[in-house]
Amino acid sequence: MFIRSKTRPFGRQLSTPLVRTLLIALYTLYPLGCILQLMPMTSGGGVMASLAGLALVVGAIGIFAVLAGSSLQRQTQEPENLLDERERIERNRASFQAHSVFSGIVLIGVLYMMLTTDMAANDKLHLWQPTEGAHWNAIFGGLILLSFTLPGAILAFGKTPPEMD
Amino acid sequence: MIHNRLSVFRAERNLSRKDLAEAVGVNPQTIGYLERGDYAPSVELALKLAALFEVPVEHLFSLKPFAPLATSLRDPES
Repeated sequence: MFIRSKTRPFGRQLSTPLVRTLLIALYTLYPLGCILQLMPMTSGGGVMASLAGLALVVGAIGIFAVLAGSSLQRQTQEPENLLDERERIERNRASFQAHSVFSGIVLIGVLYMMLTTDMAANDKLHLWQPTEGAHWNAIFGGLILLSFTLPGAILAFGKTPPEMD
Repeated sequence: MIHNRLSVFRAERNLSRKDLAEAVGVNPQTIGYLERGDYAPSVELALKLAALFEVPVEHLFSLKPFAPLATSLRDPES
């Protein structure tokens, strides 16, 4: 997802350290927020934890909104004919790597679900499993955020762009 | 690795990276990557740049490192 503004058709130029910081914050705040928000009362959850979790999730979505308008996100989402040859090559490499990472994460998730279901059925070990709609919403929300930002993250943590004159 | 004299030619023409990028239809960052040696251009882009500076492409790009400018001036055969 790239949000193009009328004033900045090529996206907002953010410095590489800032983009890296925003991405780390996004990938930390969202899961932390979801855990706090969905933590059951018996495990220390409550109204305050839920509100703190909500604040973190809203913060993560705000960070996503900033990234969605950046030039880096443009490079990952723009149609090919609007990118130059270097941008296309880098985008294709980043998309391939992002696809591999994303597939790996989904595979680990499926394996986890399979093992926890199996162990719970045999009454061996009871690990956490998503049971409510809110749990699945949090997981899918995270996967959507990750799929939208992962190619850009791979670009951001790759080569540092040259300084402009 | 492909070596280039892009920054020398650009400075000589007093062009900014943005000007040069617009002239050959690429992102200004791409010019930066080229000058830094972090990106090897396509034949098309190399030819466009050479045409813009009105020099043969091998004056702009080389597989071997270019001799320093002072050496080239002293000994034009180098």
